[in-house]
Amino acid sequence: MAVGTDSARVDAVDKVTGLALYPADAVPKDALHAVVVFTNQPHARLVSMDLSKTVASPGVVTVVTAADVPVNEYGLTLFDQPVFIGLDDTGRSSVPCDVSRWEADHLVVVVAESLSEARRASALIDTEWEPLPMASDVASAKADEILVHPGSSTNTYHTLQIRKGDAVLGMEAADVIIEGTYELPHQEHAYLQVEAATAWIDEQDRVTVETSGQWVHEDREQIAHALAVDEEEVRVRYAAIGGAFGGKEDMSLQIVMAVTARKLGALGINRSVHCGWSREESIVGHHKRHRATVTARLGATSEGFITAVEADVWLDAGAYNYTSNKVLGNLHLSVAGAYNVPNARIDSRAIYTHSVPGGAFRGFGGPQGAFVAESQMNKLASKLGMDPMELRQRNALTDLSDGITQSGLPEGVGVTRVIDACVERVPPSEELPEYPPFSPIASLPAKAEQLRQGRGYAVGMKNVGFSFGFPEACEADVVFHGDADEERPNRVELFHSAAEVGQGVHTALTQMVAYAVGLDFESVDGFFSDTSTGGDSGSASASRLTFMAGNSVLGAVEEAEKAWADGARPAAGHFRYKPPMTEALDPETGEGQPNFCYGYMAQAVDLTVDVGTGHIRVDRVVSVHDVGKAIHPQMLRGQIEGAIAQAHGYTLSEQLVVENGRIQNPRLSQYLIPGIGDVPARVDCVILEAADPLGPWGARGVSEMPYITYAPAVTAALYDAAGIWINKFPLTPSVVLEHLASAEI
Amino acid sequence: MIPASFDYVKASSADEAISLISEHGDEAKLLAGGHSLIPMMKLRLAVPSVLVDIAGVRDLSHVEDRGDHIAIGALAKHRSIETSDLLIAQCPMLAHVASKVGDPQVRHRGTIGGSLAHSDPASDLPAAVLALGGSLIVQGPNGQREIAATDFFTGYFESALAEDEMLTEVKVPKSPGTNWNYQKFNRRAQDWAIVGVAAAQVDGAMQVSLVNMGSTPLRATAVETALASGASAAEAADEAANGTEAPTDLNASPEYRAHLARVLTKRALEASGVE
Ligand SMILES: Cc1cc2nc3c(=O)[nH]c(=O)nc-3n(C[C@H](O)[C@H](O)[C@H](O)COP(=O)(O)OP(=O)(O)OC[C@H]3O[C@@H](n4cnc5c(N)ncnc54)[C@H](O)[C@@H]3O)c2cc1C
Repeated sequence: MAVGTDSARVDAVDKVTGLALYPADAVPKDALHAVVVFTNQPHARLVSMDLSKTVASPGVVTVVTAADVPVNEYGLTLFDQPVFIGLDDTGRSSVPCDVSRWEADHLVVVVAESLSEARRASALIDTEWEPLPMASDVASAKADEILVHPGSSTNTYHTLQIRKGDAVLGMEAADVIIEGTYELPHQEHAYLQVEAATAWIDEQDRVTVETSGQWVHEDREQIAHALAVDEEEVRVRYAAIGGAFGGKEDMSLQIVMAVTARKLGALGINRSVHCGWSREESIVGHHKRHRATVTARLGATSEGFITAVEADVWLDAGAYNYTSNKVLGNLHLSVAGAYNVPNARIDSRAIYTHSVPGGAFRGFGGPQGAFVAESQMNKLASKLGMDPMELRQRNALTDLSDGITQSGLPEGVGVTRVIDACVERVPPSEELPEYPPFSPIASLPAKAEQLRQGRGYAVGMKNVGFSFGFPEACEADVVFHGDADEERPNRVELFHSAAEVGQGVHTALTQMVAYAVGLDFESVDGFFSDTSTGGDSGSASASRLTFMAGNSVLGAVEEAEKAWADGARPAAGHFRYKPPMTEALDPETGEGQPNFCYGYMAQAVDLTVDVGTGHIRVDRVVSVHDVGKAIHPQMLRGQIEGAIAQAHGYTLSEQLVVENGRIQNPRLSQYLIPGIGDVPARVDCVILEAADPLGPWGARGVSEMPYITYAPAVTAALYDAAGIWINKFPLTPSVVLEHLASAEI
Repeated sequence: MIPASFDYVKASSADEAISLISEHGDEAKLLAGGHSLIPMMKLRLAVPSVLVDIAGVRDLSHVEDRGDHIAIGALAKHRSIETSDLLIAQCPMLAHVASKVGDPQVRHRGTIGGSLAHSDPASDLPAAVLALGGSLIVQGPNGQREIAATDFFTGYFESALAEDEMLTEVKVPKSPGTNWNYQKFNRRAQDWAIVGVAAAQVDGAMQVSLVNMGSTPLRATAVETALASGASAAEAADEAANGTEAPTDLNASPEYRAHLARVLTKRALEASGVE
């Protein structure tokens, strides 16, 4: 099956017929059931906890507490969160464990014969809390009067800066200056499959956790750290994964369930233990896309050449870092857009608050940055009376640009390419086409005079792979099978840890191996996402797996070919692909090479707004992507359409309400993700294939890119339609209406 | 979330259902489609100790021509109202409104009786029956009585039904033609109304009702009075929020709801032929 054609997905039949087992499906018959009890305290000190009634409750097997965690700390990049809040921890933790800083901090795990017994017993925990003062948002945390982590003197725990040229002089040289303060909202991942895990001690005495996540080896490392054991003593494998989007990059049940299985083992109870979260527990219990506030200035000449960019970024990290420091880096780079900026001052800060942690979510800071950069460009175009895409073309980064980090860009910069293709498809001068009659949700088409149509554009780029010097590598193993006298193998086994989160990576890797070896698709058997069989692949994130895992399997095939040629039967090949090293940025100037590859995108959005109600319908999206090489065009379109549907919710309807550190609407009846009747009526995908010099068959990555440019394209289209700029979203009907009213439309 | 535990009995006739609820008093609840009651139980907003399942009761799913009106059995599903040829011809508004309830799954389970008895101010069908000036037949241990729709909705999730009464039939006047309209504004294509407006011309007069503009489904009396004294659609629509107490929730403020009521009333009236 050739790369570049649409093979059937390897997981399609199982997923469509219901055979695929997700983590909550494969619960062994004799499993014990666990409930993770949250503290339900956004900021309070635990004064006492009495578990006697819980322990004595019918069916209870054990209660797991802080005392059971050898090293009671967790964090993907900083250890700043206790695994359990408790008074009885071992003392081997870098954070105080008696203070809850988040309503979903874990208090205990109650294990019982049945779920209902575990729930009943959980309700009997007797705790006394001393309420502590709250700094629940950026404004209150900035003052540093209330510290979220008292070990430090400030809540503003991570800062980045860019100093390029002279921003003051650059602004002086500008003929026009665009200024704006942008409010970026939270977003819930809302994956279909909520968190669930089963844990046991396997026949090799390893603590084993079967769950869904984005990186088995990272899960294993975090578990091993908390258990203070070697990684080899821990095994993590993934069942079928029903969506992740970054929301399963951090730990939910991994560590607590490993600790629970170990405790059961120590008690001589040789049974597996299962825990599955409800939707409410999932929404309350995992991180969100970061909310952020960005104030920005953009200076340009009257010909539309950028003279300077200034920006102040405040990223609300919530109670714990999760990946906020990395997300901040991405946001930091992307507020300047995909343009030549001769002078820049950018100051970016991540700040702790007593609120839900922000963390990884499709785009990883890119959507927030792009909303600022592209809104500023769209406003500049309108102020100058210039065609918005012509303005972008004048300023577009190229292979010759030094970039905002003054270190040049990886070869093959595609900004002008995607702009050209977008303009060719959707010329800014063209009249808007007629779309089917507007049905603004209400049953009656509103009168034509109450409808306004508009078009907006946005352009961007997104890194592929880990940034800023973070170790980046991906391993693969293949085994060629065939008789000694055969010239070619007749079957290949592939062992890989890449997480299939729905994006289709297992199909893409199977396809790549089949094509590289010259076999048909069915002759490749994949074994995936199990630390006991596969090497470290890195995570399913940063749009990286096609590029990274693709290169890893190509390398492994090459190694196996050598062994095969040497007569080995079976012939094994192992390979660890490492892309060019990236760099952490200079702390003063922000100089350095943060990334090794980018994907490029441009979008045009046509919408209609009902000025009577404020309701917006998106009629069409044209989404242009330079992907290097479309390995599987159908799945690629799936990524584009899916990303746009998710971005549509972010931009128009999803509104997470967090008050005093508590989520007020942890249900999908109140947190409105768009349905099939709400998403854009049409998405046209335009795929460009300018090969990346390092990508497998030239492939880059795509899964975050279509998401990133959507919100600013929508707000630009709304401006085109109704003459209002809105610097925040979601653009709920009432918000739109308020702006229309103040503009007297 | 998981509801509190309860007992479950199946009734095979209206009489049996009524004697079962009389026996258990206010601990018991009738269960029809379950599409309002079960969600309430999961949130523990309703904690009945006995559920009397009437879904299996025969003979209460009819849609019948009774001369000047149409009679609809309390257990008729939204879907069968939406697709009833009789209603489409003789009371098209009711069929249309039924088609705007939730999504196909909901419409295949939910019943008109459940929707009315539940008295949720955010529901669609109560507003339609109100605007049409329909009435409700209820049956108790001592026989039947008829209640005008305008007298039925007495408070927030409260109706004129006594504890031991069951709604058996809904009557709507024949009202063919095109002088009617239903405006449903929801944030998502398939969802509950943020605000809705039903308008219907019955016996020459425009009757207008509002969804989600107060603690009960209500008639827009200020609009009707204005129309009766010769106001234009635009003038009458300006009155739409008068005398209402629109709720506030995560979806909308009372001010935004009042605005929607005015805009949607104007659209509904114009589409019903009011100039
Ligand atoms: C996802 C979803 C979306 C929905 N969207 C909408 C929407 O957009 N618009 C809308 O209007 N509705 C909507 N609904 C509600 C739906 O229409 C319900 O079916 C309806 O409101 C109740 O009907 P039921 O037969 O399910 O009643 P049940 O839930 O069985 O009962 C509701 C109440 O009425 C009582 N009851 C039921 N039948 C009788 C009777 N014959 N006599 C006396 N009391 C009785 C019960 O005891 C209970 O208190 C939605 C429901 C869901 C789950």
